[in-house]
Amino acid sequence: MKKYYSLVRALHLYFGLFISPFVLIFSISVLVLNHTAYFNRLRPGEDGQPIQKHLAGFQPQPSDSLTAKSILRSLDLSGEIDWISKTDTTFSFPVNKPGLIHWISFNTKTGIASVTRRDEGMLKGTTYLHMMPGQHNARMRGNSVFMKAWRVATDFFVYFVLFVSASGVFLWYFLRPERKLGIYSLGFGLAFLIVLLMLLF
Amino acid sequence: MQPPTFHTFTRRLHIHLGLFLLLFIWLFSLSGLLLNHGGWKFASFWEQRQESKIDIAVPLNALTDPNPDARIMEFLKISGEVQQQKRTAEALEFRVQSPGIVTDVSIDLTTGSGTKKVMKYNVWGKWRTLHTFNGMSKENPSQSPNWLVTTIWRFTMDGIAVGLIITCLSSWIMWYDVRKEYKLGYSILAGSLGVAGYFLFWN
Repeated sequence: MKKYYSLVRALHLYFGLFISPFVLIFSISVLVLNHTAYFNRLRPGEDGQPIQKHLAGFQPQPSDSLTAKSILRSLDLSGEIDWISKTDTTFSFPVNKPGLIHWISFNTKTGIASVTRRDEGMLKGTTYLHMMPGQHNARMRGNSVFMKAWRVATDFFVYFVLFVSASGVFLWYFLRPERKLGIYSLGFGLAFLIVLLMLLF
Repeated sequence: MQPPTFHTFTRRLHIHLGLFLLLFIWLFSLSGLLLNHGGWKFASFWEQRQESKIDIAVPLNALTDPNPDARIMEFLKISGEVQQQKRTAEALEFRVQSPGIVTDVSIDLTTGSGTKKVMKYNVWGKWRTLHTFNGMSKENPSQSPNWLVTTIWRFTMDGIAVGLIITCLSSWIMWYDVRKEYKLGYSILAGSLGVAGYFLFWN
């Protein structure tokens, strides 16, 4: 096994470097998600004034998703459509990018679209990335190229994290001076997790 | 015995913090995968949930308590994060949630009678819930956890996040020390910062 040490060390180092900015995004977002009120005070969201635009000659498309995309193109906006809400006269939906939301309400009778912009900042942007694509609105999710790419990126991120952590254990095993303390570190982690799970369940 | 150099300290911190966090990293990585792939059949939980509903009767003095939710929970022997409290002149309703168990309690305030609906998830559902269980509400950001265990779990998640940030930063320091042997590291780090920056600042 030791003959693989150099190879595993190089892969651990390179894959670890590659995932490190993503680990930072996910870790920072955990702090923001767990202390939302504090971060809201630190950097409140900024709401822009609603802008109205008449979409001349707008035609509904065969599906709600296509209609929303068509409205976005007419407004020269892009992003991930979160969900769509309809009434007899309005067609509304939020469009997200990390840290930025556009609320769009289109009046199907008058052809006027109202757009409200909310800038939530970079820290909230990390929480958006953390929660996407996520478990909700699965049929809707991935309607932008960005989200399709992010979905693939998050999967690769997890697989790389698993590889980097497993290869880290492999490398530690061959470091004799660190073996005893390492067993304690692993043991404390395991014991802490077991206690938490017992409390939770 | 000589005091450890900065390099030695960073290296040991990276190794032992990484080992301490190992199981937490796996727990959250795999639950993240489950959340992003709700269609995976082997990990389906919603279809396999167990639901039960029973009629209950709580003592009327519990309903006049300043904190009736806590008294009712004590009486019914349930614990968890209390959410969705609704009180009218006639009825009291609330939800108690712990990972994998959701209990909806509805009580008639005049008679003390009511119902307790319990929904239990399988192991996959419990695992998924652990990832998101922080007692926070998207609709009400000022809400804080009201169950001690949620608070402990939330601070554990904070600790894991800080630990991972330290592990990342220490990895950069460790690579910088051996950068001449691992020159590809420059390109990889620059490339990954670029990719992460594209996702974060895409607007």
